[in-house]
Amino acid sequence: MASPFAPVLDSLTRQRGVTAALVVSERDGIAIDSNLQIGQSADRLAALAAFLYRKARLSAEAAGMGAVSFLQLEAPAGRICAVGGGSLVLVVVAESSVNVGLVRVELLRAVNALRAAGGTDGDA
Amino acid sequence: MVDDVRRLSDELARDPGSRVFVPLGEALRKQGQLDLALKVTLRGLERHPHFPDGHDLLARVWVDRNELLRAFDEWDMVLRLSPGHVSALRGMGFVSYQLNRLPEAEQYLSAALEAGDDDEGVRAALANVRAAQGLPAAANDPVSGEPVLPHGTAHDSRFLFSDVLSDPEQTALLLDREGLVLAGAYIGYDGRDLAQEVGAELSGVTDAARRATRHLELGDWTSIVFETEVAVVAMSPSANDGLLVLATSRATPLGLVRRLLDRCLERAQKWLGGRY
Repeated sequence: MASPFAPVLDSLTRQRGVTAALVVSERDGIAIDSNLQIGQSADRLAALAAFLYRKARLSAEAAGMGAVSFLQLEAPAGRICAVGGGSLVLVVVAESSVNVGLVRVELLRAVNALRAAGGTDGDA
Repeated sequence: MVDDVRRLSDELARDPGSRVFVPLGEALRKQGQLDLALKVTLRGLERHPHFPDGHDLLARVWVDRNELLRAFDEWDMVLRLSPGHVSALRGMGFVSYQLNRLPEAEQYLSAALEAGDDDEGVRAALANVRAAQGLPAAANDPVSGEPVLPHGTAHDSRFLFSDVLSDPEQTALLLDREGLVLAGAYIGYDGRDLAQEVGAELSGVTDAARRATRHLELGDWTSIVFETEVAVVAMSPSANDGLLVLATSRATPLGLVRRLLDRCLERAQKWLGGRY
């Protein structure tokens, strides 16, 4: 049986240049569901992406800058993008040539679906 | 520097009424022994309440303790004792700038230059203040180009990026691998410097970003950018596993954010190169 997050992940991985999409628990960094290519491992990526998102959120709180909406990590051969939805983080891995504006819009749109599918607004 | 502290301490012990408390307090401040520097300075001022350089030192200790308003008041005292005191004018200018009090910042920085301050950082900060207010640049404002490292930042690293940033709503921090602040500031709405708090929350980011990109074989990470309700925050790895953090308003175009991040990184590398 497909997880409630499957439609969200499928929609994201259909984007050109997106190579992986995961739903991760922000609190403990555990991958809840994922769409990965052969050879990719979800566990470590989930933990690191959740850590980075949590750090961004906590630093923004410390600075009084409000909630974090979109995070992007860039490297020469690709990028990792993330948005938070309650206690969950939606993570995308993409090639460097990806249309990041489009990915950003899709991720922000997917946050609502993520919340509806199981993310909570509780303290992460 | 430890020898300096020992020598100056001995000198002060021999003559408690001397003004050597100023170089001693300054040496302690530079070592980061702020509580001790404050104690020495306050004791010295009890004996020399009208000594401008003593109050100037106290103001710099307040700055290091994130007490910008107290620093401002102390420099105000210096000016009453010694009108035209260059260090006080410069300090009040930078504090006003950090507190987004642009007309005051312009007034003090201009006065510092007129009083003979030859610090390139003051000149550049004045140009930024005037630009932020939509005022024309003065004839002697620096032109854009290779950034000049303000020599005042040697002892006021909180202002390291002041003349690089183009808007008072922008702020930059340089953190070490532990998340401790090396330079820069983050001034909150109440005038308090939140740099330590922000730095503490960002400790470990450099390592996690490196591990994530290596795990995915993406190469070494070059930047992290995240958006909040009111700001865009950009980060970049710096020397010795450090982290450069730049915060701007959401109105700042992303291309400009990247450009500012590059300029701050260049400044940080230059500063670190001179420091170590």
